[in-house]
Order: sequence, then structure tokens, then C-alpha cells
Amino acid sequence: MEDLFGVRMDHIMLALLAVFVPSLAVICVLAIRSRVMLKMALRNIPRRKAQTTLIVVGIMISTLIMAASFGTGDTLTFSIKKSVVDGLGTIDEFVISARAGENDQFGGAAYVPVERFTRLQQQLADVDIIDGLAAGLAETAPTVNERNSLSEGRMQIAGVDPDTLEGFGGFVLDGGGDVRVDSLGPNEIFINSAAAEDLEALPGDTLTVFVYGDPVALTVRGIVSGGGPVGTEPTLLMHLAGAQRMFGKEGYVNSIVVSNRGDAYSGADLSDEATRTLRVLFTDRQAASELKALLSQPTVIEQLGLRAGRPMVSESLQADLALLQVELAKAELSEELIALFSNEEVRAEFLEAIAATGDDALVREVNTLVVSLAEFLVIDVKRNLLETAELVGNVVTSFFILFGLFSIMVGILLIFLIFVMLAAARRSELGMARAVGAKRWHLVQMFVFEGTAYSLVSGVVGVALGLLASALIVGIINQIFAGGGSGADDFQLTRHFELRSAVVAYCLGMVITFVTVAVSAYRVSRMNIVAAIRDLPTPQETNSASALQLLARLLMSGLFLLPFRVLYLSIASLRRGLWRRSAALLFVAPLSLLAGPVVFVYTLFQLLLSPYRQGWMVVVRMVLSTMVVVAGIALILLGTQTDQVIWVRLGVTCGIVGAGLLLRSSMNVNQVRPELSDRVAYTFIGVATLVYWFIPFNIMETVFGELNGGVEMFFISGITMVAAAVCTVMFNADVLLKFLTTITARIGGLRPVLVTAVAYPMSARFRTGLTLAMFALVIFTMIVMSILTEAFSTTAEDDSSVVGGWDITARVNPSTPIADIRQAIEESPDLETSEFEAIGGFTYIPVQARQRGAKEQGWRSYAVRAADDGFLAGTETEFHLIAAGYGDTAEEVWDRLRGDSALVVVDALAVPLRTGFRGGENVPEFQLEGVYYEDESMDAIPIEVREPTTGAIIELTVIAVLDETADAFGQLGGGMIAARHQLDEVSPFPIPVTNYRIKVTEGADVAQISRNLEFTFRQNGMESNVLAELVDESVSANRAFNYLLTGFMGLGLMVGVASLGVVSLRAVVERRQQIGVLRAIGYRRNMVQLSFLLESSFVVLLGVAIGVGLGTAISYLIVREIREDVETIRFTFPWLQIVIIVAVAYLFSLLTTFLPARQASRIYPAEALRYE
Amino acid sequence: MDESIVHATGIHKTYDTGKVQVNALRGVDLSVRRGEMVAIMGPSGCGKTTMLNCLSGLDDIDAGQVTIEGVVLHDLADDERSDYRARSMGFVFQLYNLLPVLTSVENVEMPLLLSGVGAAEARRRSLEMLDHVGLADRAGHLPSELSGGQRQRVTIARALVNQPSIIWADEPTGDLDSETTAEIMELIIELNRANQQSFILVTHSEEVGAMAHRIVRMRDGEIVDDGLRAA
Repeated sequence: MEDLFGVRMDHIMLALLAVFVPSLAVICVLAIRSRVMLKMALRNIPRRKAQTTLIVVGIMISTLIMAASFGTGDTLTFSIKKSVVDGLGTIDEFVISARAGENDQFGGAAYVPVERFTRLQQQLADVDIIDGLAAGLAETAPTVNERNSLSEGRMQIAGVDPDTLEGFGGFVLDGGGDVRVDSLGPNEIFINSAAAEDLEALPGDTLTVFVYGDPVALTVRGIVSGGGPVGTEPTLLMHLAGAQRMFGKEGYVNSIVVSNRGDAYSGADLSDEATRTLRVLFTDRQAASELKALLSQPTVIEQLGLRAGRPMVSESLQADLALLQVELAKAELSEELIALFSNEEVRAEFLEAIAATGDDALVREVNTLVVSLAEFLVIDVKRNLLETAELVGNVVTSFFILFGLFSIMVGILLIFLIFVMLAAARRSELGMARAVGAKRWHLVQMFVFEGTAYSLVSGVVGVALGLLASALIVGIINQIFAGGGSGADDFQLTRHFELRSAVVAYCLGMVITFVTVAVSAYRVSRMNIVAAIRDLPTPQETNSASALQLLARLLMSGLFLLPFRVLYLSIASLRRGLWRRSAALLFVAPLSLLAGPVVFVYTLFQLLLSPYRQGWMVVVRMVLSTMVVVAGIALILLGTQTDQVIWVRLGVTCGIVGAGLLLRSSMNVNQVRPELSDRVAYTFIGVATLVYWFIPFNIMETVFGELNGGVEMFFISGITMVAAAVCTVMFNADVLLKFLTTITARIGGLRPVLVTAVAYPMSARFRTGLTLAMFALVIFTMIVMSILTEAFSTTAEDDSSVVGGWDITARVNPSTPIADIRQAIEESPDLETSEFEAIGGFTYIPVQARQRGAKEQGWRSYAVRAADDGFLAGTETEFHLIAAGYGDTAEEVWDRLRGDSALVVVDALAVPLRTGFRGGENVPEFQLEGVYYEDESMDAIPIEVREPTTGAIIELTVIAVLDETADAFGQLGGGMIAARHQLDEVSPFPIPVTNYRIKVTEGADVAQISRNLEFTFRQNGMESNVLAELVDESVSANRAFNYLLTGFMGLGLMVGVASLGVVSLRAVVERRQQIGVLRAIGYRRNMVQLSFLLESSFVVLLGVAIGVGLGTAISYLIVREIREDVETIRFTFPWLQIVIIVAVAYLFSLLTTFLPARQASRIYPAEALRYE
Repeated sequence: MDESIVHATGIHKTYDTGKVQVNALRGVDLSVRRGEMVAIMGPSGCGKTTMLNCLSGLDDIDAGQVTIEGVVLHDLADDERSDYRARSMGFVFQLYNLLPVLTSVENVEMPLLLSGVGAAEARRRSLEMLDHVGLADRAGHLPSELSGGQRQRVTIARALVNQPSIIWADEPTGDLDSETTAEIMELIIELNRANQQSFILVTHSEEVGAMAHRIVRMRDGEIVDDGLRAA
């Protein structure tokens, strides 16, 4: 894995090390200098082992999540790379003919004469970066093992010339030993392990290969290991001459493979150079000269300059476009220019530049030339696949980290909570330390030392457990793959973890902990000494000098002046002769620039939420609150300008917060009791924020216009709504308390226990609020994931819309098509014609497409499903949009298609979403312009479709957009659908029907018919599946993946549970004496225990209630929003799953609290009373 | 007839700290009569608090027997002892022994609730008791909002609200100034006289001891003078 969120992992690692190593070095220096503080910090660690364990668990969670995400990404990258290298061996590039000839067939690669290959060998003889060039024949054909009747519909047949295989390595028998293809006798073959496995074939078996329908018997000589020319798909390996004879292609080859210098991995590094050399070699100089002349026109050069100057153009492309302009200006055709012409990225740019001139004739001329430019296409297959492997790894890592953000957030809250509580527990000893001369800075140091010690250990544990978690995730993903539905049954992940990822995860976790510990330590250090020693409540600070200091700090951090302040302190220390301190401050000065934003936000909060209630501070607070409102308005404006919902949402929230704070300040001015003003203001903020965030998206849009948002809204909304709910609950806790005690007044025996169980959490609001927020956040995310998973699986329940009313999908080998399937069924003894209600056939044809009149004029890859009458008459697939004038119902549209082959319908994935979020492997490169999937109506859209091998262009009209659910959300295949007759005319080959959809009569045994079809048409290589089963498998795989994500997000639950454990353990220590009193006045042991358990239950159940409530509500809104586009989606509350989540959360919380509670109940009253 | 409400014989208690063993009580014998106010005095570490804890059942004993109102205390199971304390004993400690998260009245009503008295009745009796100790107007205040003397009054109210037969007080005036000490002791004496409840006080103060019916003096875990003199 090389990138994370678009940033190179190497850079991330260096940046993190640049922060982490100096920070650790500074801490070490400080530790050496302040040994007393170090001792105080370290000796606290073993004092309470259970607490230390829980702290380590809590702190490690961020590291764990990141390590697990990186581990999963690394594994995916490594596994895909491994499968690429295993599959290709030393092959680095494919060379295929760019021009179709009379010898060619649909679905196969174009053939070239062997003489052309020999010439190619001579041309490349002096190119030292290429160490192998081999020619062969590659076809597919249905194959049956006569010994056991097992068949493989798409067996690869590889004919290789042993004389050209130098540089590719030899073939190795499975049991060991090199073999050569020229040792094979007539009709003898080697098979690879995949073929041996599929056909359960053994040496000596006879395999029948159906070549264009005619059986050819071949004998298995041996089984060879896969890779390289043997491939990893089921493959029969034979001598080139034999293969040529078998397929009637004597003197021709259709597969040319290139091996670069180096081994299977390092060869790919030379891919750029090799590809360029080959492309220059294959370019038709005449066509290139003509193209040069056309592109040298001033209007085109001008457009090229404009394109190079666009924002977001990569530096390398900018350089290429600059070079293109220079080379075009030269009189002669240079090698450089030829190389640029054959560069796909550059070619796309000059095609766009040509299109922008508006000269249609020029556009056509250039496009025609581009097609005839190269004799061969060079596909740098290995490098492309290795890059894809990187991309997949990066995307998966980012995905898991994004979904782990909630847990990381909860982890940060826990670290903060832990240190706040540690400080509370040691308040009197810290006060004592201050009394005997320790400075605030010393206390900060002490906590940082302790935090560092915890983090150093927990980081290691986190990385180790993260690796374990990733191994578990990989195991589950393997199970999902194995479960089917993904079409990647053979692909298995191999666990792999890069050291760099471990370093990044460790350092990231450490940096997060450092920052949190430093902020909480700073907060802790600001104590009143006397109050701390006597354990009295902290008096309110009314000293205006402190307020002034806060204001000064706010300005300094806001204006990034902190380094100057630190510099000033450094000089001041130097003047006092404290040169070491001065040097340390000098070192820290640049780092303080980074701390600026954190200090600013913290100080702003301090000022806004501080208890200053007198004099001019109220005015300052009112000004600041007004500024928050103004900032909110600015954000709303930004949101409406950029159409981004995130800014509008945050802007309005800022406005509400600012208004609430203003309300509070104005009540303070009017001498309203602080408790009342706080309650009113924060309740207003909480309730108003909740109400606002619950406003449905469509109502938002009526006020602010159309807005776009992505997956980040899930996190922002979750955090904001949970914060608002917790704020509301905590500032009205006494009402809740009264309500609870009134109810429980009737339960006599429980009452004394309930009174304390509820009173304690409510007396420590900050602690309770944090724990509540953690639980609510975790439960919220899990509930939303569960409900959405369930809702999305309901979309596939309506089979007829998902599978278009068909029951069976089948495909045959393009080389052995079925001439007339209906007649063949009639003649088959195993099939009953009366059981077939409808049979539709179509063929996938890869094409290039562009929309006429659109901004984008480059040809983009797409596919046409050329359908026969049976398919168009039998399909029940619904449409989401129908162009005006082409009917009102799906039936009418399909009828129009049957009548006019110039009309097409496109799949939903070719239409953009207004949100801009359309991702996934099935999304085609070609995208329509001027229409969005969310639209209510559309006009017919003219497009052009080009057959890539001949360059033939036909004009078509898009008259409708298929529903998003069609073909199981595109998983059964996508592409536009058109009647086949016009496409037949432009194709260089006869287009056979390769895919079938079959509808059986009511009551027929679908599974049996599917099996019979496969058996009957085994010579055609038919693979048949029951559609409902495929959809079920796909839904199950999606559901399993979502469960995996839910489980991953559930890691946060561990933090929540750990936090309760920490809180309970602390409570036992803090209240030891009070427990003694309670026991003295008659509390039984079990009452003490029950009181602790009820206390935890109170927090957990309140958190669960907030999480479930908010999660359900937001999911309902999301489902309602999606329903506007996907009509089949239904809001379903997955009771069982949610009960399990709640029960697990509650039980684990009780379990964690149980031990401290038990410990508390076992204390002898006298012992507890002695405790100080 | 023996009028003893508390009868302890041969009480031994040893604390094992792992490194050393401390013989806190070495065969203590003590009897307290119903309605008697006994002060236990002695130097620091002589075992005064340990004796109070052992006699009241807050702590276990290693040897000997404690009988209270005819009940052998250490034969009772822990829960039975808890119930017995809730019904028949009251405790007053030095300071900070109120539950800080509960208001005065809630602190006072806790023993009543533990004895199974209904919520309304408990609240009524607690308010009455607070009124009795002169703190009716502080019923809704948290301990942190009260002065040291007021807190101790609340503690006394809590100790007496259940009308127990014995009140155990460990340094009840230890953290108070002399004026407040006098006030608190007057209150205790008045309650003792009015309700005929037995009071066992641990104190350092000779003035406080002088107000008791009898002073028991201890040294090194033994009673050196049981102060058997008339009140």
C-alpha cells in the first residue's frame, strides 16, 4: 500500500517520525532533568494494575484500528500483486493486433502472420531492456474430461512455440522436473493445476475439446505449475503448430507476449520504457505525419495550451503537453512526437483539444487517423495490474479508516477521560506537590511522562492486536469470497503486513495520544492549591488578569504568534542564565506553530464556556458568541455557493451554538441564576441542533437549493447529533433524576440503592457526559450500519425488478455458439420445451462511446448488449427515466427498441448522481451529460458508438435509463441495450449470441432446468445459473461485508466498555470511605455491588437509548431519501441484530463493572473508613 | 439482671500488613450499660478506633466475643450484621463521612430507607430529625455547602434518625473548633439524656471525655483503666 487519502505513505511516515521522534527526545530530556516528576509518574503505574490494564486497552484503540486498516490494505495489495505475478510470471506486456482481419472471430484476439512476428523479433533484437518475445495462439474452447464427464466451458488453449520462450522460464511439472512443449507427441497436452482441479484430470486422461463445435481428443501428458504462458485460469498447453492446426490458423499467431529484463517483479519497473519503445516501433509513420499536420493548426495548438493550463493537471501530463507543442512546431516527425502520439493520456488530451475547436470534420479525420496510427496495441498489463493492486489496497485502507473514525474519536475521548480522572484521583497529592514548590509545568510534565509510558506500551499492544484484527478481517473476507456472489471464488487473500504500516500506525496512535495527553495535562495543571489539598470544590476564577491572559492567548494562537511568545520566553531564560531552558524553548518554538490551532480552539472554548460572569468579560463573551453566529452565516454562504451540504449544516449549527451562548450571556447580564442560564442555553443548543439535523434533506433543499454531500456527512451528523443529545440530557439530568426516583419510590428495597446509583453519575457530569457520549456514538454507528444493511438487502427482495423477470442466466463460449437454442431445446431429450416460457439472447460488445454536443468529446469505454427480439419482448426490467415522446411504460420503451435499432437504453451506472458519489468496479467510463439519475424527466440523448477494432461509428439515441436495481445493481452485467441488427452490420465479425436469459413456466424446477441446460450445451461451454440464487449470494456477500464493517466499527464498543471499567475502578477508589459509611449505616454487600452495577446501567442504557434513538431516526431519513431513487428499498428495523448489539454492549459493560463492584462490596467497613 | 447493652470479652485483633503484624487489641474486655455514655481515650495508635470498629461489627475480630443486646455480633452473617446496624446502631465519624452527592435530608433518610421505611415516612422523620438538630433550613443543601459543625449535626441526625439503641462516635469533634465542639457535645448529651441511648465515643479531648459518664483508657491495645465510676 503506497498511498493513504492521496498522500504517499513514505511521506506520512517521515512526517510522523519527524513529529514523534523529536517529541519523544524532548520528553526523554525532560525526564532526565525532572527525575522527581518522572518517579512520581512512573510509580503511579503499577499502583493499580487493573486500572493500568484498562488504560492501556483504551489508549491502544486508535493504534489498533489503524493497524487493522493498514494490515487489511497491505494484505489486499500484496495478494492482488501476488496473483498478478503468479498469473503473468515474467510476462510484462501483451502485444495485440490493432486491426481485425478476415481470420478473426468475435471474442478472440486478432491474428497476425508468423512472418510479421519474425520481423518483429528482428526489430527488437537490439533492444536490451526486452529479454523475451514469444508468439503463441490463445483461444478458449469447451472441454470435457471423458473419464468423468466433468466439463469446463471456457478452457484456455495456449499454443506456444518452444523456440521463442527464452526469457520466460521453462515449464515445471507439479511434482517437480522441467519439461518442454516440443517433447509432446501428437495430440498430447500439458494442463495446468487449475484445469486439473476443475476437470479432476490426471495424466493419461483423454480430454475432448470442442473447436468451433467439432470434438478433438487430446491426451494429458502431465500437469504443470501455473504462471507465465501457462496462466492461472484453467489452461491446456500445447505446441504452437498443433494449436494452429487444431484451430485452422496455420501460419498465424494471435498472442505476442513481452518479457522485460529482470525478474517477475522488477521487470514491471521497465514497463514505461519498454512500452514506449514498442509503441514507437508499431506506429505507422505515414499516419503519424498526417496527424502531425492536423494537430499543428494554430487553433489546435491554442486549445492544447489551454488544456495544459487547467487546474488539477498532473505535472507529468503538463510536461508532456508542453513537449507535444514543441515537437509539433518542428518541421520533421520526431521519435518523441511518435511516442507522445501513442501515449494514451496525451492522446485523450489532444482529442479533447480537437473537439474543443468545434470543427466536426477535423474531429472525424483525427479520430480515423488515431485508429490507423498503430499496427499493434501494447498493453503494459503487469504494471497496470500492479497499480490496480495498489489502488485497491489504498481504497480499502481509507475505507476502513473512515469507518473506524468513530472508534478513533471515542478512543480520544477515553484518553481524555482517563487523564481527567487520574488528575481527580490525585488531586490532593498534586496540590501538595504544588504547595511544596512544583510548578504547573511540572504537573504537565508528570502527566506527559505517565501518558508517554502508557502510550509506548499500548502502541505496541495496539499494533500487535491490530495485526490480529486484520488477520481476522482477512479471514472473514476470504469466507465472503468463498461464499460466492463476487465471482472471485478462486481469489484468496494472503496475509501480509508492511513494516512501514506498523510504523505509521504506531506513530499515528502515539501522536494522537501525545496531543490528547498534553491538552488534558494542561487542563489538570490549572488547579487551586488549597482546594486541591483539602479536596474542596474548585472555586470560580474571577480574576480579570486570567481572563486577559486567555484573550491574549486567543489572539496569539489565532494569529500564529505562539512561536514568537516561545522565542521571547527563550530569550528571557537566557538573560536569567537558564541556558538549557532557553535552548529547549528555542527547539520547541517552531513546533508551537503546529499547536496554534489546537490552542486557539481550546482557548475559545475556555472563554465561551468559562464561568466568568462579571464585568466586561460578559461583553467579551457576547462579542465572541456573535462571532460564532457570523462564522455560521459565512459557512452557510460557502455551502450555498459550492452546493456542499456539509458547510450549510455546520453553518446553521454554528449559528445555533452562537445564539445559545448569546442567550446565556444575556441571562448572566440580567442576574439570572447561573444554573438556570446554563440549563436554558445548553438545552436550547441541544434541542435546536437536534431538530435542525432531523429536518429531511428535501426540505433543506427547498430552503438552500440543491446541495451535494458525501459519506463524510455520516460522521459529521453522527458526532453533532450525539453531542447535542448528550448536552441536552446532561443539563437536564436532575429532571431525569427526579423522574426516576419518583418512579422507584414505590420499590422500597431498591430505593436507597437507586438514590446513590443515580446521584453519583449526575454529580460528576463531565465524566458521565464523556462516557455517555462514547457509548451513544458507538451504538449510533452500529445501529445506522445495521439498519442500512437490512434496508439495502430489501432492495433485492423484489426479484422481478432486479432480474428483469428472468429465472436463469446462461452464457456460452463465443467460439462455440448455439446456432438456434430453441430448436436445440426441442431436440434435447433432457429438456422439455413446454417448461420454457421465454428465451432472450444478447451479446456483450465492448465499444467506445461519446455524447454528441456534450463537453466531453473523448471516446470512453462502454459496452453494448446487442439483444435479440426474444430478450426485448421478454424482459420485465423497469426504467427510472424515460425520454419525452418514447412512451410512459417500460413495455412501450422495449417495443420502441425492437422496432428501431438506432434507439438504446443505458444502465443507471452511466448516469451521474447529483451527489457526485458514484463509485464501484461496475461504473463505466462513459457517463452521460445533462441528465442526473435523480431527475424527474429527460430528453432523448444522441450518442455515437465506435467499434474499436474497425473504427466504424454508428449514431444511436438514448431514450431511457434503466432502474438502478436492474441486473442486481449492475452485478449481473451492465451496458446499454439495443436491438442487434444494426450492430451486426458494423461488426467485422458475425456476432454470435453469447448470453441467454431464460424464463421458465410457473411451477417448473428452475434449478433442475439450469443443470440440464448446462449438461445439454456442454459442448458449447454453457455455464448456467439460477438468477435468484445469484442475487441471494450477492446479497449475502454484501450483507456479510456490512456485518464485517459493523463489527469493525464495534471496536469502539471495546473503548466504551473499557471506559466504564476505568470509571468504575476509579469510583471504587474515590468512594472507598463513603462505601465504609454506607456499610456502617446498614448497606449490605450486595447493595454496594448493585449500586455500582445500577450506576453503570444508568450510563450505558442512557447511551444506548440515545444511540438507538438517533441511529434509528437518521437511518429512517436516509432510507427515505434513497427511496426517491431506489423505489424497492424499505425501512426495516433489524430487531434481532439490534437486540444483540444492545445486549452485548450492556453485558460487557456489566461484566467490566462487576469486578470493581465486587471489589467494593468486599471492603470491610472499618477498612474503608480508615482509607484516605 | 445484667444491664449491659454491649458486652465484650477477650477481644483480640491483629493487622497483618504483609511485612509486620500489629496486635491492635490484646484481650480487651468491656461492658457498656444501656443509656450510658462511655468515652474511650488514649494515645494515638493505642487501638481506640479499632476497638470501636470491632465492637460495632464494622471489623472482624480474631478472638473473643462481642454481645450486643444479647446478640453475639460476630455469629451473624455479613448481611445480618448490616441489617442490625441499620436498625439498631448509629455512627458518627470525624468528618467527611456524609455522602457528598446527597443533600442533608437524603443523607439523613438513608438508614430509614435501608430499614425498609417508606419514602414519604422516611422523608418526614428525617426532616423532623434535622429540625431537632437545628438544621431544618439546610435540608436541601449538599454537604459541601455546609460548615463543619453543620455537617457534624447532619451526621448526628443521620445516626439518630432510626432511634438506635447504641451510637458509636469516632472523634465526633476532632475537626471542630472549641465553640462548635461544645455545641455538638451539648447536643449529644441532651439526646443521650432524652432518649436513653448508649453512646460510645472515641476521643482525644479531655474536655469531651469529661462530659461522658465513664472514661475507658487504653494503651498498646489493652484497657488500662475501665473507669468504672458513677456518672
